[in-house]
Amino acid sequence: METLHNLAFGFEHALTLHNLMYCAIGCSVGTLIGMLPGLGPLSTISLLLPLTYSIPTGGAIIMLAGIYYGAQYGDSVSAITMKIPHASSIVACIDGYQMTLKGQTGLALFTAGVSSFIGGTVAIVVLSTMAVPLGEVGFLFGPADYCALMLLGFFCVSFVSSGSLLNGLAMAMVGVLLGSVGTDVNSGMPRYTMDVPALTDGIGLISIALGCFGIAEVMKNLDNKNVLTPFNGVIKLMPTWPEFKRIIPSALRGSVVGSILGIMPGGGPSMAQFAAYAVDKKFSKYKSEIGTGVIEGVAGQAAADEAAARTSFIPLMAIGIPENAVMALMMAAFIVKGIQPGPNMIASHPDLFWGLVASMWVGNCFLLIINVPMVKYWLSIFKIPYTVLFPAILFFCCVGTYSINNNLQDIYTTCVFGFMGYIFLRLDMEAAPLLLGFILGPMLEENFRRAMLLSRGSFDVFATRPISATLLSAIAALTIWQLVTFVRKLKKAPNHVISDDMSLQDSLVQGLSNTPQPAEKLH
Amino acid sequence: MNMSNRNFVRALLLMAIAVLFGGVALTYPLGQLSRAGPGLVPLIVSSLLFFVGAISLVRSHFVAPVPLDYNVKSMALVLLGLGGFALISEHINMILGIVFLVFVSTFAGTSYSVVRNIKISLGLMAVAFAFKYLLGLQLPLY
Repeated sequence: METLHNLAFGFEHALTLHNLMYCAIGCSVGTLIGMLPGLGPLSTISLLLPLTYSIPTGGAIIMLAGIYYGAQYGDSVSAITMKIPHASSIVACIDGYQMTLKGQTGLALFTAGVSSFIGGTVAIVVLSTMAVPLGEVGFLFGPADYCALMLLGFFCVSFVSSGSLLNGLAMAMVGVLLGSVGTDVNSGMPRYTMDVPALTDGIGLISIALGCFGIAEVMKNLDNKNVLTPFNGVIKLMPTWPEFKRIIPSALRGSVVGSILGIMPGGGPSMAQFAAYAVDKKFSKYKSEIGTGVIEGVAGQAAADEAAARTSFIPLMAIGIPENAVMALMMAAFIVKGIQPGPNMIASHPDLFWGLVASMWVGNCFLLIINVPMVKYWLSIFKIPYTVLFPAILFFCCVGTYSINNNLQDIYTTCVFGFMGYIFLRLDMEAAPLLLGFILGPMLEENFRRAMLLSRGSFDVFATRPISATLLSAIAALTIWQLVTFVRKLKKAPNHVISDDMSLQDSLVQGLSNTPQPAEKLH
Repeated sequence: MNMSNRNFVRALLLMAIAVLFGGVALTYPLGQLSRAGPGLVPLIVSSLLFFVGAISLVRSHFVAPVPLDYNVKSMALVLLGLGGFALISEHINMILGIVFLVFVSTFAGTSYSVVRNIKISLGLMAVAFAFKYLLGLQLPLY
């Protein structure tokens, strides 16, 4: 009953004219940018974050959330029609693209749209019922527990995003080190500033995000000379009733899987869609057909994708710890707006929290309206050649960097991170854990120092507190599992040389389907 | 030692970053565990990063080498375009900066057309004016 009352309170805020407008703009722009080749949700949010600076807090957060799930959906549209996904929609390529090859693009897009709506709705129920109790759990966390939770987050994100725990973890550490640039809050001593006044406040988040995800992606895409024919097919959107009936069970299964995996550390849309696809392959009535381009192959993963995108807000808002890089970026946006996510947020800013929850459902409706009937118009964006698109992306990166402090010199910092991001990409070093490490680094240091101060320099505190001990045990289990897997591979491999690390997503795609790998970005 | 092996270069880069940050961290007061100084946490993280880099280095001997693939031309052109954009916008104006960005960076594309570049520049100028007058961004357009 109280939840319903809170939701009604949230709708009061979400349904104001301004907030409706911000939500609609967020969903539309997010979808549009998310559909562009090489721009996933992380790049889209990084690019559009500066646009929200001049908007009131409530509206800005609603708009950012809209951008996020809009980008999430836009990404799956490009995956289904063009087979050019980002990490967040790689599974949509399997059956979605097969459906496109069969001339069923419209049906695939309709299925993705409706399933996303179902997934989003189920996730909102989970979000509104679980965030408050989890927020109370958040009060039980001490500095050592926060440290352990952040470390678990690093481990999980490293593993999920790059497949190799070692590479991802290294990137998270590089992020933590970059996060320590600037003035030390405890001693007031400048660290790694090289006497450059601009660095005393630390490196700008937007410079890192736009450099590593915007500029570096452009440079990487320019290296790829593959030319894909833009999608120009005819779309028949509305399914028949038997087809429509097939969407529901699969979407519901995906919604449950996505809602659960969205809450887990390191979880989120990427992991959820693989799990939902695997569940459908196991339990669907049409399981033998999955992989050949059927509704169930699209519905479950699309629902899981959207559900996880929404429930991944729970750890951020209830405990104050983002569980993946997108949420870390969201956290930065909250802090820029003067809101510290955490157990106190729901109590101190109920309008923002419940307004955001309610706006997610409003955003769901917007996504359904703007995407299902109008998708054929959105697809015309694929007719823009990459040669035209990339100077525009570079320009938006520059404006995004400049508009934070109205300082053109910040663009040089973004260029440096663009260069570093390109090197990282070429060395197969995933930038998502770096961003998470950069944002969580100062919090990790603060909590570590506090935990050590309280325990008088003893590490026992990490083992004696039940929450911290449990989380650290999970880290140990994950590490041992990775080590055992590597040793087994090594023993089996001829001449004791194994093939290069295949990312977790790549190996899952290969495991789930027999279709070839998704094609690279287009020119 | 194989500098064209991606795994090997990655491990070396990680170790170099660790040495750089760790070396500088040693110049800051370290304090004690119970009262950590500004250098302690960066030193711990750098040491762990060096350890991870070292494991990656050992691991690269057991993993089949992957060639390091990069393209200096597109990277240099994009960075030149961006740097020039910032410099021209700062000293002259952003309109010229946009023209420079478009005309230089598109050399990195698959084809080059002056007419197309003029159209892209005009389009981006229109967007820049919209940012300035509709969103209120303080862009130094002229």
